[in-house]
Amino acid sequence: MQIFSTPKSIKKDSSFSFCPGCDHGIAVKLVAQIIDEMNLQDKTIAIASSGCSVTLYNFLDVDCIESPHGRACAVATGVKRAHKANGKEMFVFTYQGDGDFASIGLSESLHSALRGENITAICINNTNYGMTGGQLGPTTVLGQITTTSPMGRNIEYHGFPIKTAEHVALCEGSAFSARVALYDIKNIINAKKQIKKAFECQLKGYGFSFVEILSNCPTNWKLSPLDSHKKIENELSKIYPIKVFKDITND
Amino acid sequence: MKEKTLLKGNIAIAKAALNCGCSCYFGYPITPQTEIGEYLSFEMQKNNLAYVCAESEIGAINMALGAASVGAKVMTSSSSCAVSLMQETLSYACSDELPIVLVNVMRAGPGQGYIFPSQGDYNQTTIGGGNGDYHIISLSPSSVQECVDMTYKAFYLAQKYKNPTILLVDGLLGQTAEPCILFDNPYKEIDNSSWALTGAKNRPSRKIHSLEPSQNKLNKHILNLKNKYDLIEKNETDYEKYMCDDAEIILTAFGSLARAVKAVVNSFREKGLKAGLFRPKTLYPFPYDALKKIASQAKAIIDIEMNLGQMLRDVKLGVLSDSKVYFIGKPTGNWLKKEEIIDSVENILKENYANI
Repeated sequence: MQIFSTPKSIKKDSSFSFCPGCDHGIAVKLVAQIIDEMNLQDKTIAIASSGCSVTLYNFLDVDCIESPHGRACAVATGVKRAHKANGKEMFVFTYQGDGDFASIGLSESLHSALRGENITAICINNTNYGMTGGQLGPTTVLGQITTTSPMGRNIEYHGFPIKTAEHVALCEGSAFSARVALYDIKNIINAKKQIKKAFECQLKGYGFSFVEILSNCPTNWKLSPLDSHKKIENELSKIYPIKVFKDITND
Repeated sequence: MKEKTLLKGNIAIAKAALNCGCSCYFGYPITPQTEIGEYLSFEMQKNNLAYVCAESEIGAINMALGAASVGAKVMTSSSSCAVSLMQETLSYACSDELPIVLVNVMRAGPGQGYIFPSQGDYNQTTIGGGNGDYHIISLSPSSVQECVDMTYKAFYLAQKYKNPTILLVDGLLGQTAEPCILFDNPYKEIDNSSWALTGAKNRPSRKIHSLEPSQNKLNKHILNLKNKYDLIEKNETDYEKYMCDDAEIILTAFGSLARAVKAVVNSFREKGLKAGLFRPKTLYPFPYDALKKIASQAKAIIDIEMNLGQMLRDVKLGVLSDSKVYFIGKPTGNWLKKEEIIDSVENILKENYANI
């Protein structure tokens, strides 16, 4: 394999520790490319949280703090506001999983969106708790087998999954909310475009911006990377539409 | 010299926090501390400082964690059952080595309890409900003047040791107005430019985290924290001893209750009984050595608290003997009065010491 170039905002001595074929690697790379392109490296404070997303600070070469599980948007609020009180505008974003953002941290996440907190949240939705070995999460789809829904998620027993990007879009304080995917080149290009738009919303002071990245989890889904991407294309994107739900810059 | 003003404990704390440069406050209402957030909401907005009416105490303490990570002076305040909600993040802040000032104006518990005054959070403060080997510096004021002094000190110690610090205030004190002097912050500023997250400009990027998958590194980190706690115990242990030097009976108490106990000591002295008061001003670190020294010459040590004997365990650890340690206390309600304490002390002495 030949490496042509690495984004400036990726640490030189690091290598991703994600499972082979996991979309996290692509997501982090996109974020790093955008930080480079928007010249944000020395103005950025990133918030990592619990789960697979926590190791962000090992790869991304920006100031970074790890948040307790689910509280990333609250920590980001403190970071952003404290700098503002000191007369400094910093670029602040969270990088979270769906369990983090939409289950244990739903209160902190939605209240940050409702307040119109001028931060960006990126949420990797892989429809299960990845780091702990694939348990039922808030986004696990109906019928999906996990280690804690061995007979598949059903409405009577487990209840419904959450459509996070749609919920964020309903908050009056959110400026931008989109769901993207990374299963092919076309979608990766679109994902980059939407993350960039979310970042721009913050830089312009429009309020809370959010990108949900519909991702694979080949290890816990027990599928090859290729088949896991097919599953996103053919099944999951029908349930979780790839779409911009809110963009006040278009209004 | 600044003039004396009449201030409620809660307002005194809020004013002292602003005086020493607190630029961020995040909070959620709960009686009996709500005036702190109410007072600061106006003052901080007026001065373009950071103030968020958080969605919960969990939100508030995590906003505080974020603000502390960028080097800001940050405070949150709450009470008892709601401080329970903050335990996870206090453990994180200890591991992350982040300075957060938390004011706990105690109400009665357990559970929701009620807004009656109590000192029931001694264990929550000094032992804590978070995970792992950690300690939180805790200061215990006994007057509104000490609310001012110790608010300054709480910010200073939090910054100096990069550790959360709790100001543990009796609900009674938070709600009591007393004359006090709002003097200038006497402590020097601590430079945090070597670790604060201010953007990786002309320096390598920084990371603040508690996760550590390397066993060796995690061990080393926890041992480093232990060294810091040893240093805190060595340097910052603080207490008041009143008429203890020749005392045969030592009364121990913390917070505003210690003032009633001081009056008890005066009464006993008038009667010719050699009594003294020992009051920890820092609950962590607890002044074990000082108490041990005083207790060695005393015949009885009687611990008095508005709870069912939470500091009692530390008193016993200091005295290193169960045989002469006694307890007077009740969980909540009207503060123990001087006369009640005198009666209880005399009963203990009558039952156990025929010749005193």
